[in-house]
Amino acid sequence: MKLKTKLTLFNTLSKLVIVTIFVLLLPALIKKVNQNYTDSRLLKQKDKLLKIIKSQGIKSYIDAGENSASYYTPLKEDYVSLSVDSMPGNIDTIKNEKRKLEGDTIEYRILSHNFRADDKKYILEVAISVDAINETTRPFQNIAFMILLGMILLTIMADQLYSNYILRPLGQIIKTKLIAHKFPNFGSYEKVETTTSDFEYLDISIHKMIETIENTFQKEREFISNASHELMTPISILQSKIENMFGRDDVVDDVKTRLLEMQRILNRLKSITKTLLLISQIENEQFLKEDKIPLSELLQEVHDEISIRLQDKNISYEAIVPENWMLVNVNKFLLFNLFFNLINNAVKYNRENGTIKIVAKEENGAYTVSIIDSGIGISTEDLPFIFNRFKKMRASLQQDSFGLGLPIVKSIAGFHEIKIEVESEKDKGSTFKLIFPAFLIEI
Amino acid sequence: MNVLIIEDEKALAAELEIFLVNYNYICEVCYDGASASEKIAVNLYDFILIDLGLPDYDGLDLLKEAKKSNPEAICMILTARAEVYDRIKGLDLGADDYLPKPFSLLELQSRMQAITRRKFGLKQNLVDLGGFLINLTDRTISYYNNEINTITKKEFDLIAYLLLHKNRTLTRSQLSEHIWGSIINDDYDSNYIDAHIKNIRKKLNAYAAPDWLETVRGLGYKIKVNG
Repeated sequence: MKLKTKLTLFNTLSKLVIVTIFVLLLPALIKKVNQNYTDSRLLKQKDKLLKIIKSQGIKSYIDAGENSASYYTPLKEDYVSLSVDSMPGNIDTIKNEKRKLEGDTIEYRILSHNFRADDKKYILEVAISVDAINETTRPFQNIAFMILLGMILLTIMADQLYSNYILRPLGQIIKTKLIAHKFPNFGSYEKVETTTSDFEYLDISIHKMIETIENTFQKEREFISNASHELMTPISILQSKIENMFGRDDVVDDVKTRLLEMQRILNRLKSITKTLLLISQIENEQFLKEDKIPLSELLQEVHDEISIRLQDKNISYEAIVPENWMLVNVNKFLLFNLFFNLINNAVKYNRENGTIKIVAKEENGAYTVSIIDSGIGISTEDLPFIFNRFKKMRASLQQDSFGLGLPIVKSIAGFHEIKIEVESEKDKGSTFKLIFPAFLIEI
Repeated sequence: MNVLIIEDEKALAAELEIFLVNYNYICEVCYDGASASEKIAVNLYDFILIDLGLPDYDGLDLLKEAKKSNPEAICMILTARAEVYDRIKGLDLGADDYLPKPFSLLELQSRMQAITRRKFGLKQNLVDLGGFLINLTDRTISYYNNEINTITKKEFDLIAYLLLHKNRTLTRSQLSEHIWGSIINDDYDSNYIDAHIKNIRKKLNAYAAPDWLETVRGLGYKIKVNG
């Protein structure tokens, strides 16, 4: 999952949790707030009443000879009562209680308070009906809920926008520095605009790492290219010397046999050097891709070169290739070598009287050429390494090879953007499937 | 024929000279571009072999000079710099052939002969080998007016190469370098030459025994031409 998606998900979820908790707590909270407010209102009323009684005397509320007096609003939403208290002890409480007023039993929030006036103990009750209190609770809750919802939505949007904005450089780094680049050709450095120091650091670090890799690659290529070039002249001198000596009549056959051995070893050195040079030239893109040749014709040319080897092992060869497939934008020399090496391997690692089949066909819109042999196959543990340079499999040790056949194939295929898929079963044979990009085939 | 060898590697220049003198060429050797430039300006040559990697001179400049003062000369470029770019440039500037190092001396000589033949349009190049008439121009073999058309291109290449270096033993390495040299592959040993020779003998035996195609035990093959 992408970082941005994760952040968005987390933001939304965390906010939903907060909303839920708040919504659950809201009634209790509002109730509490309301009650506090009511209580302070009751206290204020009590203080006011006591003040009046103090200044004007209890007589202004309770007529002489009466023991109590009550005052209430017509709808009995609140009332004030004063009465002589005969109970011992002092009361000063606020609590919910039911009262019967003119036949109606109503629950009230009641402040009860004892005070003395004219040498008598009175009890004062100031009350507001619970219904009246609750009447305001619901709209309060609703308003609170709406405001909360609006704010949450706003913050989610703001979070989204900001995380989008702040994460954009990261996306850009991933897109331009990691996905777009084809290893090992990275191209030039383009700074990713960001004010976030972490991303700046990441960008620069990736760039530095890429540069190091590129430099190392470049050095390796240059080294291989230089080394193989430098080796050409000494090899050339040795080869000429051996050839001249071999051609002399006064050299005895015994010496000539040894010269022959030297020649063979020199040839091996020459092959390795030439192959390495070729690979480095391909990697340095020193070949043009401007040739056009029918696939069947190219395969025929390879077959002509290889027929003696097929005959030697009595291998039957069959090519099922559409006549109208034309390879375009290719380097013929390289593609010839690609097919030669693959088919040559199919011969080398085949059994006597074996078979080789070349099948070219269109599969789900892709152009594929498969080289199928009935050879010794490649074991599963060897399979990942077959394209590595100088990697010799146990099976290939018996063959005269130096482990560069498939690396050549890989380099040439890579240069032409041809994909290679290998399937193999031990002792049954191998299939090398080449998947050509559409721009290499014309029909 | 006069050959000017321009090669800064003295050991290689010496081997080139020994080899070509053996094939009756008259050789002059230069180890640097400056003296080569002088020689080209003064003397006339049939062949000029130019090493591109000279320390003091751009080999391609020498090629230009050679084309100016020795327009008839056949110029061949010998180089360890096998880049495609150089190859195109060299041929554009009028080099007649291009031989990347390391090359076989036999290959050099066969190329020199091929260019000579092409350039001077030599008359039909026919060789009679014990009744087999080998036409190197048309690349055909016939036995008393019967054309033998079973011989493949590769097989003819082998015969022609052996014939060009007649009476000289060619090793399997030399032969396989000639016929498979441009293929870059993973083999360093080729016994397929034997198979080819076997096929040639079989095909020719239908007409007469090709005794002139000799196996030199342990060494290679040669075509023996008397006289």
